[in-house]
Amino acid sequence: MPLEQPIEIETPPQRVARWLGAYRAAPGVFDELLDSDGRPRSHWSHLLEALAGFGEDGLEQRFAAARRRIDDMGISYRVASENKEQSWPLGRLPLLISEAEWRRIEAGVTQRAELLDRILQDVYGEARLVSDGALPAAAVTGSPDFIRPMYGVAPPGGRWLRFYAADLGRGPDGDWWVLGDRAQAPSGAGYALENRLVLSRAFPSLYGEMKVERLAPFFRAFRASLSAAARRSDPRICLMTPGPFSATYSEQVHLARYLGLILVEGEDLAMSDGRLHVRTIAGLKRADVIWRRVDADWCDPLEMNAASRLGVAGMFEAIRNGAVVVANMPGAGLIESRALLSFLPALSQRLLGERLKLANVATWWCGQRDARCEVLRALDDRAIAAAFGDQPPGLPGRQIALGSELSSKDRERLVAAINERGVDYVGQEIVKLSTTPTWIEGRIAPRPFVLRVYAAATPQGWIVMPGGFCRVSDRLDARAVSMEAGAQSCDVWVLASQQIEHSTLLPSQVDPAIIRMLGNLPSRAADNLFWMGRYLERAEATLRLVRSLSTRLTEQQAEFHERQPIELLARMLIAWGAAPATPALAAAEIARVATSDPGNYGSALALVGAAKRSASIIRERLSQDVWQLLGRLEKRLAKSRSRTFSEPEALEVVERALHTLAALSGLIDENFNRVAGWSFLDLGRRIERAINACRFARLFGGDQATDETLDALLELLDSQITYRSRYLTGPALAPVRDMAMLDPYNPRSVGFQVLRIDEHLAALPALRADGVMEPARRLCVKLRADLESEDARQLSEAEMLEVEQRLMALAERIAERYFIQAAKGPSKYKPWRLA
Amino acid sequence: MIYDVTHITTYKYDAPVASATCVMRLAPREDGGQSVISRSLEFSPQAESVRERKDFFGNVVCEKRIAKPHTSLRIALRASVRVDRPAPPAPALTPAWETIAEWAAASNVLDGRSPAHFIYPSRLAPLHAGATDHARASFPPDRPVLEGAADLMRRIHAEFIYDPKATQVATPLDQAFGRRSGVCQDFAHIMIAGLRGLGLPAAYISGYLRTIPAPGQARLEGADSTHAWVSLWCGPDFGWQGLDPTNAMMVEDDHIVIAIGRDYADVSPVDGVLFGAGKQELEVSVDVQAVNG
Repeated sequence: MPLEQPIEIETPPQRVARWLGAYRAAPGVFDELLDSDGRPRSHWSHLLEALAGFGEDGLEQRFAAARRRIDDMGISYRVASENKEQSWPLGRLPLLISEAEWRRIEAGVTQRAELLDRILQDVYGEARLVSDGALPAAAVTGSPDFIRPMYGVAPPGGRWLRFYAADLGRGPDGDWWVLGDRAQAPSGAGYALENRLVLSRAFPSLYGEMKVERLAPFFRAFRASLSAAARRSDPRICLMTPGPFSATYSEQVHLARYLGLILVEGEDLAMSDGRLHVRTIAGLKRADVIWRRVDADWCDPLEMNAASRLGVAGMFEAIRNGAVVVANMPGAGLIESRALLSFLPALSQRLLGERLKLANVATWWCGQRDARCEVLRALDDRAIAAAFGDQPPGLPGRQIALGSELSSKDRERLVAAINERGVDYVGQEIVKLSTTPTWIEGRIAPRPFVLRVYAAATPQGWIVMPGGFCRVSDRLDARAVSMEAGAQSCDVWVLASQQIEHSTLLPSQVDPAIIRMLGNLPSRAADNLFWMGRYLERAEATLRLVRSLSTRLTEQQAEFHERQPIELLARMLIAWGAAPATPALAAAEIARVATSDPGNYGSALALVGAAKRSASIIRERLSQDVWQLLGRLEKRLAKSRSRTFSEPEALEVVERALHTLAALSGLIDENFNRVAGWSFLDLGRRIERAINACRFARLFGGDQATDETLDALLELLDSQITYRSRYLTGPALAPVRDMAMLDPYNPRSVGFQVLRIDEHLAALPALRADGVMEPARRLCVKLRADLESEDARQLSEAEMLEVEQRLMALAERIAERYFIQAAKGPSKYKPWRLA
Repeated sequence: MIYDVTHITTYKYDAPVASATCVMRLAPREDGGQSVISRSLEFSPQAESVRERKDFFGNVVCEKRIAKPHTSLRIALRASVRVDRPAPPAPALTPAWETIAEWAAASNVLDGRSPAHFIYPSRLAPLHAGATDHARASFPPDRPVLEGAADLMRRIHAEFIYDPKATQVATPLDQAFGRRSGVCQDFAHIMIAGLRGLGLPAAYISGYLRTIPAPGQARLEGADSTHAWVSLWCGPDFGWQGLDPTNAMMVEDDHIVIAIGRDYADVSPVDGVLFGAGKQELEVSVDVQAVNG
């Protein structure tokens, strides 16, 4: 501690006073922390006092721990059109909502969800609201989510809407307003869950002290309701994702894992007998429920966007057949239109006989003459937005125009556009959002926020998640708060007045049946596990080659036969793309690029990256530890690229990377459940290791082998110690070949790998019940028998090559049998134009 | 008038297609002064399953699945169609275009014939400032809607060049409009975009034209292929009226309607998915013979 300046020790009450003293609520808006007299509200006082008690350093440590956890868990999102995922911006302070206030929100959201479901039922059914004049047809047809093939379809399971979200804001008078509705594929609930996990780890005691309502029961009830909606008991429930390039993939992965759903992409699904199925390693298996995160337009290329590769041909037909429950039904996104907001107060009276409990922001749809005149009359007090979708025509790059802020030229143009095509626009009252405290550089400051609240349909009615996804703007004056615009999210605490008793929250359940086999592995997951295994193994082999090369470079080599292994090691690295063939590089340089140059597809860094990409597609199946270790390995290899290392330093990087890989293997072997998933990861690893062992054996143990090359081979196979304990002589051809190719006790030999592969194949599910061996197994059994009966003294270089080729053929048979064949994926009929 | 239609579509693949689902909109409609006396759809190789349904707009959709490997697909439609449309109304008698726009926005019908579906931009006929400005010149205040639309149709015919080489099936509207050339599909999309830009309900029609013109008349463009034109809603009394900008003519008995939609994507004659990686070769032949009737 620096002693030059006198240090005032700040007590916690002083700290709170300092925070509050610097907090300036903006005039004319509601503030969550301070009441109208400028006094802190009691629940906020509690929180600030508790935080102040941790001390400045204690708080920083806890926030830093939370930050690390976010990075380690890989919570991220993707900004549209960018390749890299962004790390998750979690605000340090939660949003607090008192119980009394929450009950009002809950009642309002419940009512609204029910109302919107009934509207959908009517619009896609009898359309009485339209024929009776309560809802103009054009207020429906303008929505890109009026999904025409769903017109007249009864939703399997009886509901159009099962998972709904409302964006809320609080106005200056303290009332909550609905700013918008989300029904296409509401995002954020998974992030809310992650925010809760992270913050509750950083401040475990606070949640109990503040009596924060728990989120888990909501998710459990939602999961149970999806299950109950299916036609058969124990249904297969899938979360359908657009894939790793979707903005919220990390959230989808988290939800699938948390809820125990099968994460599927369109390619994983197939139509058969009028029903939807998951492609698994045991063939097609019924998909009973789909929770979709794919927009309706992309769901079925046969009936919607023909160019879609995200959906599955025939999905709509399966829905019409009543064979699959989809949450939410394609077409539910219709209720997101702002045009609809202007009709909701009247529709609520008509359909529910009730006033809206939560008002939505006052809206006028300009497709109606009176409303249009009203909007244009008071244009200065209105925000103009798109009636459907987010982009109002004629306002390039803008989502919202404020009448009062338009230049006279823009204003004239907008008025003309509204007069010509009023159907495309709504006018809305301008809502000033309330502010909540956020932590900005050691102090607290007010910032506007939007709160997204989630509701799920259950057989007993709608339930609302006690909490939500809160987005806080980084600017004081914010009219649109989106994650992409530099906003933060924060945890939302609904504060119960009674102590939360954990035991009472557990639903009374019948005894669950014991399950050891977790369904059937989807083919795509098997594919990615297999390749993750292969890439990791290949990365390890690259690093071993580099290590052998580097150790030899640090020693003096005068004679040609001493240099020969160096030449061969460098050649090997070039041959599998770890280093470029041209320009010809010095051996040391080859070692460097083979470790950490991402531009060479065979470099350790590129291979670990490829393993991580495969892993990202099956992230819901990997433990958090595996994911973290993989991330660290990639970072470490990438870092070694940024500066020039001395040779010993470079060697150390390689050693440490090999240690991390060994830790990763250990983690996978110890923690991965032994059902099919692990088999495929291990199959990939074994195949790759066997192929590499053949290559090494041919190159270093071929007919031209010398003592030095045989020694290098033993080193690459980690078999020097065993060899020396078995043979008193130096390396000799036949014994070394035996150790590399045949020895069933050497965990690095080809023979050992083939035994493991055969065990896996024998244990995997068969497609047919006739007991006839499948092609992959057949190849494997033959290979195994040949290796077992082979004599190393008779083994030629040509035979070693043949073994390598048979292994490659085996890998292909495995792919054909268990994986989806991308090359045979769907394409479109060539269209012709109408002339 | 009775027509015999033969429409043969052949796909050839350079690598076997493992399986396919083919979605066809080829059967002529049975409304709007048109009735189908007989029709048959031949399909080879043989399909395992065949389903026929009507889509939202009332078009006949035939869906066939082929589960075995094949290297070609031949679809032969033969139909005998009676066309007997009422003559189009006198344009001057139709309501003012502003009234039509107001009515369309206020429609209380939601099914496929509602004008409310056809006032909004669609995938291939998006709102286009250029096309709207171009259309606006035909619609001074209070002009009867069909008069304005007929004027726009004639202007497109006069100002745009029919040139099959200028555009492809996937050429966006913006390009065809910029080049002032294209084929019927481009002209229809441009006219539709312009009409919708003014809030008018305009539909995209796919169909056939008689191959040999009526005695004493010139051969029509698009007669040896599938054709496309525009239909405009003229209010509850006059309903939908067809306008063919490629030939600058009101649609009467020379046109046979196959399908109605918002643009080509809604009516595309052959669509679907096939599992195979090879290239496709496509051949289409159309013959429409007038029979005495």
